[in-house]
Amino acid sequence: MSFRKYCCITCDTVYDEATGWPDEGIAPGTRWEDIPDDWTCPECSASKSDFYLMDA
Amino acid sequence: MNPIVIIGSGHAGLTLARELRAKSSDVPLVVLSKEEICAYYKPNLSKALSMGKTPAQLIMKDASVLTKELNAKLIGRVEVQTIDHKARRVRYRTEQGEIHQLDYQALVLATGASPIQLPVEKSSSVPFLAINNVNDYRTFRNAIEGKKRVLIIGAGFVGCELASDLSGAGYEVQVVDKGQWPLQRAIPEVIGSTIKKAMAENGVQWHFGKTVEAAHWAGINQQTRAGKPVEVTLSDGTVLETDIIISAVGLKAETKLAIDAGLSVGQGIVIDSFSQTSQEHIYALGDCVQYEGSTMPFIAPATQSAKALAQTLTGTPTAFALPAMAVAVKISACPTVMWPSVKSRGVWEVQGAGMDLEAHFMDEHGSIIGFALTGACIAQKNVLSKRCLDEAARKNEAQSAEVTTNNLNLPNYRESIVAKTAML
Repeated sequence: MSFRKYCCITCDTVYDEATGWPDEGIAPGTRWEDIPDDWTCPECSASKSDFYLMDA
Repeated sequence: MNPIVIIGSGHAGLTLARELRAKSSDVPLVVLSKEEICAYYKPNLSKALSMGKTPAQLIMKDASVLTKELNAKLIGRVEVQTIDHKARRVRYRTEQGEIHQLDYQALVLATGASPIQLPVEKSSSVPFLAINNVNDYRTFRNAIEGKKRVLIIGAGFVGCELASDLSGAGYEVQVVDKGQWPLQRAIPEVIGSTIKKAMAENGVQWHFGKTVEAAHWAGINQQTRAGKPVEVTLSDGTVLETDIIISAVGLKAETKLAIDAGLSVGQGIVIDSFSQTSQEHIYALGDCVQYEGSTMPFIAPATQSAKALAQTLTGTPTAFALPAMAVAVKISACPTVMWPSVKSRGVWEVQGAGMDLEAHFMDEHGSIIGFALTGACIAQKNVLSKRCLDEAARKNEAQSAEVTTNNLNLPNYRESIVAKTAML
């Protein structure tokens, strides 16, 4: 399965599964479903559920 | 059924509208705004040059998309004139001068904050640009087009981010501030000096400990000023030349409507932990509020309280949680993250070397209540955020235990809120 990207509805920040978020302790390759539900957007603190799947 | 009326279409107002719609498909919603309504992320205004974005590209959703998504009535470019809390009615005026009235079941003030104007701006014929919304940003981008030099007044969050963004885009940037180091109210001197040095190496010229006394068009003929440089005189007599002046000396909560309506107002509109103002059925959110004596001028508390308020207004009274306040300041020369303390009393404890610094802001009990990190130390953000949240939560618990034993009004108060929302 290829890596997906998710975008924050509030601030447009993109989470790319391929690169992860090393600054936030999320390793490259981490799948969206493996990120804890209480994780919040590092830029604007929106909820994980405020991210939407971007078109490939 | 009368609608929930939100005044203001910034981050707080639109987040609330979105959360309300997610919780209820049929509650009628109206958003009134003095701006043209669209969704954009305001913190991006001070980093759009380095993001390679035009003002148009900063707009994530326009009014037509928002209207459809939110299934709400969005009324932009209007001025709300009065709130009649007895009749639960607002009156607003359109650009064409028409007066309309609107009855509400609940009213939410998300009126934001407006740039503070220095006295020198009012007496000067030279424009001082303030960037507080995407429209201001458009004006700013048009103004710097083809120019080389920008002078920024104020070395706070916005001033520093704009200075970084502009110097990264090749502009000659000068910053004037009456304090001694950048972000002085939020960070200790040693961290400020590090940021100051790193940005100076990238070309930013600092003028600390000074204020702007006068600004005028250079040259004798004041009539043919187009394209002319501006001369700025500082309090120590220094004269600087620039093309554009930006004023970023801070924001003041927009409270006029609330004051006129008789609501309790301090630095901002006073709210409780349910975002309710001193008046029933009127709530407030975001940059315009004051909670426990402090304003909350950041994105995170606005988001958290909008989510809680959406629950409250749809029948589940919910107090807002203590938000994670860590904010990254976009300074390319020196990565910086901080958790600004809402309390001004405390002591800084700093460790680290070179650009990699970690500073903890400690209160009188030895609890961490804020921090500032630069360079490689920004990796400590999550660990320290957790400590700040945990210690604040512990303090809150201790406090509410005290309140419950000493003051039996608290449970009654919550009951009255449940009763009220059930009536909506």
